[in-house]
Amino acid sequence: MHLDNFKSAWQQQSTDTHSAIEINQAKLAEIKINKQIKALDKMKWARIIESCVFLIIIVLLWKYIVAGFTFSAPIISAFILNLFAIIGLAGNIGQIVLISNIDYSKPVNQLQKDFYRVCSHKLELTKLLLMSVPFYLAYVFIGFDLLFGIDLYQYLELHMIWFYSLSSVLLFIATAWVFAKLNYKNISEKWINASVQFIVGKRLVTMAEFLNSSELIES
Amino acid sequence: MNTTKKTLFAQAMEQHKGIIYKIVNSYCQNKDDRQDLAQEILTTMWLAYDNYNNAYKFSTWMYRISLNVAISYYRKDSRREDKANEECIVKIADLSQEDESNEVVKQLYEFIGQLDKLNKAIMLLYLESESYESIANSLGISKTNVATRISRIKHTLKLQFETRDS
Repeated sequence: MHLDNFKSAWQQQSTDTHSAIEINQAKLAEIKINKQIKALDKMKWARIIESCVFLIIIVLLWKYIVAGFTFSAPIISAFILNLFAIIGLAGNIGQIVLISNIDYSKPVNQLQKDFYRVCSHKLELTKLLLMSVPFYLAYVFIGFDLLFGIDLYQYLELHMIWFYSLSSVLLFIATAWVFAKLNYKNISEKWINASVQFIVGKRLVTMAEFLNSSELIES
Repeated sequence: MNTTKKTLFAQAMEQHKGIIYKIVNSYCQNKDDRQDLAQEILTTMWLAYDNYNNAYKFSTWMYRISLNVAISYYRKDSRREDKANEECIVKIADLSQEDESNEVVKQLYEFIGQLDKLNKAIMLLYLESESYESIANSLGISKTNVATRISRIKHTLKLQFETRDS
């Protein structure tokens, strides 16, 4: 049997199934929002709140920088953390714009990519945190300065500085590799699949698999 | 939305409501899910109708929205209990209670049910006699991708029927 032979039977179904579906037009006309749009609204508000948190962090870090502006380890650390907070804020603003422009009449693949970008926000935040790991000393320097008023760097011996620098470089290489790998194109790799599922959930894995399979033949 | 638009929407929907039936039966195995998905498709179309562009055929626009909602449809099992409290905007008859005479259509649904989400969409549009170009535009993939997938689907279907017949 050939697929084309089924076409007429399939199209005939439209008239046959007319009574199989009943629409309550009066109730439909009262609808102002549905589950999908409610979920998107919820996400938008979450991003707005997160943006406010990032903004507060940026302002506080700037105040800290301005208050004690010198070429010291805590101030350089504050600059580095500020950079991460700015990236976080920019990402959040991008998400708000993206959510506001969700259009269900877009071609399927494009909309699914938009959805993937919206739903992978938690994954992107995790990646941002991951990328700040090599700069862990920045947190330590600021912490010591705020809690004890000590510039820890001044008390570090040369071999310790070398140890921390080398460990940061190694961590940077490792996190950059993980950062690049955590992409929907690699979802078929077991550990990436498991990581994405652990960080965000099964839904994102399904979306990633869909995008990956749709692009498989294209490449 | 003004009254004229509401009437136009209602008329167009009455004419093409079979599309919703086909999509929910292709994407959901379970009756509750079918009902829920039909409601999501319908309400999404209603809310998006203000932006409907007359340059597109209503059925094309409807297919795009319905497929997008169906593909991104995700419901956790725990939320199924909420169903009883929800207002019912759309009622879908159970596929198993449909006319026994159309065995071919039932077999097709069975076959479509085994395909992945993208191939389901391709199959649905192909069965509506849409051109490869139109399918590619609706899905946002290349014509070659569509052609390759359709050829694979045809081959799988042929094999299935041969196995069944033997």
